[in-house]
Amino acid sequence: MVSFIRYVRNVRRIGIKQWWHQMQNIGDAKAGALAGIDQFGNKYYENLNPDDEIPGRHRWVDFAQHYNNATQVPAEWHSWLQHIRLLPPPEDKVMQNLSPHWKAPWVENLTGTRGAYRPYNTVAPKINAWEPKVTARV
Amino acid sequence: MILKNITVQNACRRAALTPANGICASRFLHISKPVQSPETSPATSTSQEPVTSIAMRGSNQFSLEHPRNRAEYVLSTLDKIVNWARQGSMWPMTFGLACCAVEMMHMAAARYDQDRLGIVFRASPRQSDVMIVAGTLTNKMAPALRKVYDQMPEPRWVVSMGSCANGGGYYHYSYSVVRGCDRIVPVDIYVPGCPPTAEALLYGMLQLQRKMRRSRKGVLWYRK
Repeated sequence: MVSFIRYVRNVRRIGIKQWWHQMQNIGDAKAGALAGIDQFGNKYYENLNPDDEIPGRHRWVDFAQHYNNATQVPAEWHSWLQHIRLLPPPEDKVMQNLSPHWKAPWVENLTGTRGAYRPYNTVAPKINAWEPKVTARV
Repeated sequence: MILKNITVQNACRRAALTPANGICASRFLHISKPVQSPETSPATSTSQEPVTSIAMRGSNQFSLEHPRNRAEYVLSTLDKIVNWARQGSMWPMTFGLACCAVEMMHMAAARYDQDRLGIVFRASPRQSDVMIVAGTLTNKMAPALRKVYDQMPEPRWVVSMGSCANGGGYYHYSYSVVRGCDRIVPVDIYVPGCPPTAEALLYGMLQLQRKMRRSRKGVLWYRK
């Protein structure tokens, strides 16, 4: 009952459009303060009120892509999302200073696309497909 | 004379120790900005176009996903419906062979809760879609694995879980271990780790869903 009241309250807070969007992606109506948006357009929210969110569900991400996966969250925001850092990266001076200029840009998991990681390899394959050779019957 | 000597020694000690302390403190956490940070860092992808769609440009898969005529539109929509149905109810055949099976059980337990993705363990190979090979595949077990794989109905996938199933792992040089279950069955998803966490396996299952979504059997059939 409490969760139903919370759900209705959150729907009223976020509005119908956002509710529809969240039901398509998160599967719940969550209202919270926008903590920031990363370079990919993922939005990060936080709600520290225990009446609204169970502790542990109080930070969440609204992915920019519909087919999302956890690797779309860059490292800085991951540390915020998993409570490694208290402050979100735009406000976190230590996190900003810990990101050196030579750090490679974040790329999500490209498995299944042409950008998939393939190690350099010149070794002939050890396993070959079986090609049955039928000997002629006498 | 002696007293002066001691004070000098102490001063030397202090001088020797303080920079070391300073180094330790700065190693622990550096607060200052790194030097020569560039003004703008080139972004690989923007919020407008994600990097996955950039990687898909001009590929075969891209052409399959974009219908050219009405028939293809219908077929690709049917494909999408089939994919949706498949990815919503992956029933893994559990092939728990070693300690990885414990992590596989963790995936089923309350914290990671595979049931919310429609993943339900099915003890029978004849009614399962996915086989999770969890653990060391020994030479003795290999015929059984192949038999179980052959008993599975056709849209079937194999997830190789852990180092041992991926490539022998710790037992690679053992006389009795198959060096990777991909020598026995075709593998779709390799989950690395020894053992992989339940989180990693769940991520592997999500990647398998992604693979299922790519399937465009109908369009392929039509184009041939």
